[in-house]
Amino acid sequence: MPDPIKQTITRHRAYYCLECGKCTATCPVARQDSGFSPRRIVEEVVAGRAHAVLESPLAWACLTCRRCSEICPSDVHYSEFTRELRILAREIGHQGACTHGDTIHTWMRMMADPALKQNRLDWLMGDLQVSPTSDTVYWVGCLPYYDVLFRRQGFQGVDIARAAVRVLNALDIVPAVLADERCCGHDLLWQGDVNTFRHLAELNLELLRSTGARRIVTSCPECAYTLKVDYPAFVGNTGMEVLHIAELLSASDLLSAIRHLLSATRHPPSATHHSPSATYQDPCRLGRYMHVYDAPRQLLRALGIEIVEMAHAGKTSTCCGTSGWTNCGATSKAIQVERLREARATGAEMLVTACAKCQIHFLCAMDDPRLGAEIEMPVRDLITLVANALE
Amino acid sequence: MEKTETRVIVFTCNWNAYSSLEAAGVEGLSYPAGVYAVKVMCLGRLHPGLILKAFEQGADSVLLLGCPPGECHYGFGNRHAEEVFAEARALAHLLGIAEERLRLDWLDVGDGHAFVEKVTAFIEQLCSFQPSTLPPSH
Repeated sequence: MPDPIKQTITRHRAYYCLECGKCTATCPVARQDSGFSPRRIVEEVVAGRAHAVLESPLAWACLTCRRCSEICPSDVHYSEFTRELRILAREIGHQGACTHGDTIHTWMRMMADPALKQNRLDWLMGDLQVSPTSDTVYWVGCLPYYDVLFRRQGFQGVDIARAAVRVLNALDIVPAVLADERCCGHDLLWQGDVNTFRHLAELNLELLRSTGARRIVTSCPECAYTLKVDYPAFVGNTGMEVLHIAELLSASDLLSAIRHLLSATRHPPSATHHSPSATYQDPCRLGRYMHVYDAPRQLLRALGIEIVEMAHAGKTSTCCGTSGWTNCGATSKAIQVERLREARATGAEMLVTACAKCQIHFLCAMDDPRLGAEIEMPVRDLITLVANALE
Repeated sequence: MEKTETRVIVFTCNWNAYSSLEAAGVEGLSYPAGVYAVKVMCLGRLHPGLILKAFEQGADSVLLLGCPPGECHYGFGNRHAEEVFAEARALAHLLGIAEERLRLDWLDVGDGHAFVEKVTAFIEQLCSFQPSTLPPSH
């Protein structure tokens, strides 16, 4: 029987590691926590000491942000290597430290029940237009759930979903939204729970194929990457084009339609008018995973917003500090505080992100009586900004 | 669904609700067999994840029993429990769990009869409608 550790090493090119340590030098976790080193983890596993890693809390420390992969001269796929180690660690009874009382992973596992009938579309009201026969599915993700759990932090999840539909409607796209959509399974997969991930993916694939649509538009970068890349790799292809909404809207025809609509609104962007400034947080899945760097920036510019980049932007952008709702602690907080200081140092009026989770993590980090005003800054969602500008 | 098949997780605070459960035992009172009490020091210790987990693990319904308003042993615990309950109820609604399947209530200290009345009434109102959206295998 093939050794799963050896397969993991081979599949993700860990044998090619030169032990140069660039990964550890650029890793946002290692920067805050000297006990964590991607280089050393690769070395341990390749040297035949994988069990020490599988049984260690360090197996769960990686953010899977892929900043190390951008710089690795040997093209070791460290994030996927980590993911597979986690699957193996879970098989022998280990898991990462849960956050939020495991509330989020619990609802995700509950969604793997085929008999589940959710009430997830209460936000769909007013003049929002949807159609079950549309060729475009708007994939809402867990926004209605996060809306409940993070209201106290000031996060307004369903407003993002409404904004997405409003923007699509303004561009004459009437999307389908699905009452039986379930969590895409991203967080469970990246925390090693591949079995529940497969259950969710199978149910979602069946639902998506039944729509007859030709494309899926998401407002969550993680949903987009999971549907587009991990579903085909683990379960099956949707057979549909998958796009984050920023990608869709930056297509030249839609971008010019947005510019046209903006010129007709009451407050068109103009050179004489004070143009607001923003700095942009690249979500890991949208940026380094799907290479979508320009689209969100094009949208901001179309709104007449001046972009002031942080010291780390684009390919070197820093993660928002936590991933997969696991292992949030002093290291995560230190990463977030440093990132917020970087954002404030731009002098921009707001921090814009295209991922709900980035926004939640920054809002949470700012809720800090000790640091208070040192790190406070308005955090805005990209699509909500577009929708508001089109009003 | 038969009444005896209904599985109810009852989270009790240590001070009022659990003392009432103990009083019911001392007095030899009986209550439905499907009641599974989980004692916590204070309902303020709960969070939505624990409540959802009860449903995930197969509970048909969940009852939170704590101290009367203003009588929390720790001062703020039952106010916090109300916030947690509101979040859990909103999440349960999203997951298609009927609101009758989750309730927050309080008890006076050491009142065995009131404990039996509250859990029995909770189970009876559940039996008056089709409760579970979860399959029996759960």
